Amino acid sequence: MAASALGWVLRAARQVLPSSCTRQVRSYYVDWRMLRDVKRRKLAYEYADERLRINAIRKNTILPKELQEVADKEIADLPRDSCPVRIRNRCVLTSRPRGVKRRWRLSRIVFRHFADHAQMSGIQRAMW
Amino acid sequence: EKDESTASKDSTTEAAPQSQEDRAETPKQKLLDIIGNMKVEVSYKKKLQQLKTREIKKQATNKLEGLDSEGSTLQKTTEDTQRGKPLNPELVEAASAVASSLPRNKKQTESELLAQLRRHEETTDKQKKGGTINLRNVISEMAVKRQSSAQRGVRISNRISLELDEDGQRTKPERFSPQSFDSRRSLKVGKRLNIFTKASTEAENALKTVSSPTIWDLEFAKKIAAITAQPPRNGFEEMIQWTKEGILWEFPIDNEAGMEDDAEFHEHIFLEKHLEGFPKQGPIRHFMELVICGLSKNPYLSVKQKIEHIEWFQNYFEEKKELLQEI
Repeated sequence: MAASALGWVLRAARQVLPSSCTRQVRSYYVDWRMLRDVKRRKLAYEYADERLRINAIRKNTILPKELQEVADKEIADLPRDSCPVRIRNRCVLTSRPRGVKRRWRLSRIVFRHFADHAQMSGIQRAMW
Repeated sequence: EKDESTASKDSTTEAAPQSQEDRAETPKQKLLDIIGNMKVEVSYKKKLQQLKTREIKKQATNKLEGLDSEGSTLQKTTEDTQRGKPLNPELVEAASAVASSLPRNKKQTESELLAQLRRHEETTDKQKKGGTINLRNVISEMAVKRQSSAQRGVRISNRISLELDEDGQRTKPERFSPQSFDSRRSLKVGKRLNIFTKASTEAENALKTVSSPTIWDLEFAKKIAAITAQPPRNGFEEMIQWTKEGILWEFPIDNEAGMEDDAEFHEHIFLEKHLEGFPKQGPIRHFMELVICGLSKNPYLSVKQKIEHIEWFQNYFEEKKELLQEI
């Protein structure tokens, strides 16, 4: 019970208000760009199924074209942040948009910092 | 005299269970006469008493076996009634006869004999039910321990290690070591001795109605959690903690750890039964058959998700029916 209470407290600290009422956001993300990226990821997750289905209707040679045009309009009506193309794989620690290795989700500078301090498992300086 | 009496007794014991009630009385009468006529000397008193009690007990067991079918209903009664059950009148007569033959206090010996008979009957009844502790079973398993020199050192070191640990906490070493070499035989082998009774399971307390937890309750719970959650003493405990939290997977790795797919394979593949709402001809049917083909090949979705996909398409096409009819 106390663990759940503690968990609730922790989660409240990192809470981001839902997109309907974005007045003042209090979170522990590195910067606002990272926050926006987080919102885009959430929306993309929510609308993923619908986008998949509407695209299945669109990218078709069997169904009539009128139907496909209607589907085009529908997908354009969805919120802009729901498309997965807008997600940027930023560095998790510094929010750097470029130079991010996908496996560790870290930018090259942070990666190098940790690797030199031997805090990356299985990473070794290369020499051959 | 003793040999004759024992010989005659043996013959009568063999004869008694076989014979019917009429015949049983004649050897008994003979016995009683023999006992009454026997002259007892003071020096042999104890031996004779033992002999006679043994004979009486034999007689009693034989009579019990003979009368078992009749007296079975009586024996099945509860223990309270067993104690109050009057002894067989024949046994009483035999006891009185023996008591009369002995030189000492007749009444005292008679009462003692009767008491012994009662106890004997109780034990025989219990043994028939299998309730008494058979000491033989207990002792058979026990073996005399011989201290071997090789193990002496281990025991001494065990005693020393029990005192203090490195951290200063008095923690006993792992509990498996005393079990491993103290009993060369394993602990769970052998007959059940029925010495210990199972502790009666306590009645479950009725669930108290829980009102919404007050702030003080929350604080108390937090304190308890903080105190009981000691930091892990070693890497193993840390890994245990992580596994409980969900950070570490459970080994050996189970590929279907989070998934609970109760559906059989045929529910995944044969999805045509969900296509009943669609028209049987036309491009839509063609399209939906392609959809079903793709879904049946998808191992990552659950059956529910697949059905949801198909239902969504159904709803979508129903909404667009007017459009489709224009075409």
